[in-house]
Amino acid sequence: MTWQFRPSRDLGLTTAERLRSHGREAGLGSTLLHAAWRGLVRAEMALLHRLEVSGRHNLPARPPYLLVANHSSHLDALACTAALRGDAARRAHCLAAGDTFFASNATAMFAAYAVNALPVWRKRSRPKDLATLRARLVEDRLVFILFPEGTRSRDGQMGAFMPGLGALVAGGEVPVVPCWLEGAFAAWPATRRLPRPGKLRLRIGAPLQFPEATDDRAGWTMVATRCEAAVRGLGEGLP
Amino acid sequence: MNAAPGAFAHPVTIALLAATIGLLLFAAAIIGVLSVTGRASPALRRELWLRLASWAVLLPLIIIPILAGRVWTIAAVTLLGLLCLREYDRATGLFREHLLTGVVALGILAVNFAALDHWYGFFVALWPLTVGLIAVASIPQDRPEGYIQRTALAIFAYMLFGAGLAHLGYMANDPGYRPWLLLLVLAVGLNDVAAFTSGKLIGGPKLLPATSPNKTIAGALGALTCTTAVVAFIGSFIFAGTPMDSLPLLILLGALVSIAGQCGDLMLSSIKRDLGIKDMGAVIPGHGGILDRFNSLLLVAPATFHLIHYAIGIGEGQPTRLLTGSP
Repeated sequence: MTWQFRPSRDLGLTTAERLRSHGREAGLGSTLLHAAWRGLVRAEMALLHRLEVSGRHNLPARPPYLLVANHSSHLDALACTAALRGDAARRAHCLAAGDTFFASNATAMFAAYAVNALPVWRKRSRPKDLATLRARLVEDRLVFILFPEGTRSRDGQMGAFMPGLGALVAGGEVPVVPCWLEGAFAAWPATRRLPRPGKLRLRIGAPLQFPEATDDRAGWTMVATRCEAAVRGLGEGLP
Repeated sequence: MNAAPGAFAHPVTIALLAATIGLLLFAAAIIGVLSVTGRASPALRRELWLRLASWAVLLPLIIIPILAGRVWTIAAVTLLGLLCLREYDRATGLFREHLLTGVVALGILAVNFAALDHWYGFFVALWPLTVGLIAVASIPQDRPEGYIQRTALAIFAYMLFGAGLAHLGYMANDPGYRPWLLLLVLAVGLNDVAAFTSGKLIGGPKLLPATSPNKTIAGALGALTCTTAVVAFIGSFIFAGTPMDSLPLLILLGALVSIAGQCGDLMLSSIKRDLGIKDMGAVIPGHGGILDRFNSLLLVAPATFHLIHYAIGIGEGQPTRLLTGSP
């Protein structure tokens, strides 16, 4: 019998630091808040957007895995969240832009306690942050929902994937699940303050793995390119 | 409705409040002198001001509910228990066991409800009942690996932050609770300060160097002497005319506050050493976590409760089962 318990990864941080920490781990209170938030999101997706999910059988049986999709709206993260069920839903974290969602303490509290988001700092992502995220993904068996274009598309067209995605999975066993979202740009483009009702379709593709990719810039770019192609491929199949 | 009938009815209440405010001002004056004369390094001055400022926020948070009345006192103890649980479960890793954390949190709520209801039978019954529930709660998950560890961690948590701490709130069922409770919480603080001060002034051999490298035997004995004397002296006014008003009992009460307080402190040190962490949290600037500040109170609450309960009774003659009603 060995001792199985260890302190939380965010122990000793102040509240403000903890909200933004990649080591933030949910306790009972946060878990209940996240569940309540997911309930709201599912209700919103069902009522306002009649979210239609296909290819759910492609989701790996258990975490860890990455969910990557095209990005044109704040609805994207909500639709991906709503598509997950059970253990995967509880373990899912959206990787969200730090400068948008974690800039003030109020938005950071919302991002941390409701959405269960982890911050990604555009342009100043440190190797250590990516290493922490990668380690947590495997050790804590998490699901990361991320949008490798880095920002919402301003014209509805999908942009190129950034290589940072590769730093999380290159040379490892963690699968990446490509997804294509249709309808989010029409319902809530970056130019609108609030969403309007509109049909959303989420198509989940077959997972990709990159055990052969090298954990360096070249390997990361290869991962990003292949994931981008897989997501585009799903999009082309839709009417 | 008058929120705090008789809040200041007992002269000892007023004396304790005056002494507390006086001590805070005195500490501020000393730190002020140290700052002006440049006797302390800037880092030390900053640390001292931070600690004092934290005390200036903490003390009202402790004292005002006690003065405000029974319900406020029990509510504050409930909140303190839940905050301690949160800190403890994050430090030990128990927080990953949502079910057991939830059962302990429910246990804390239930035992404080029993205090609020003034139902001693239920208050006492909740110890074996909650421990039993903790012991069986995770069995249906069919995960025997780690069973002893998670169950033991949860029972320990319930004992400290539920069953033990709730005694503090239960005391508020006695009409004369305000000066007692103030004396207890302030004496526990004084005990820490006395141990620190006499340890620094006298020095000498360490108490338990592997557990807590800064504590000395002189500090422990100094705190014991100082706290016992202060508690016995002030207690003689509070308990005048009751069977508690005897020197041996008052000395026993004072010694219990000091010994149980220091044991609580060493208990938390043992937990932290075993986990390999310095502080339980970072909520209180200059102090660390809530448990780093309130550790001494955890064992003092049940120990002194049962001494007073044994000697003069607590809440005797007061209406019971206020919320549930008699069957």
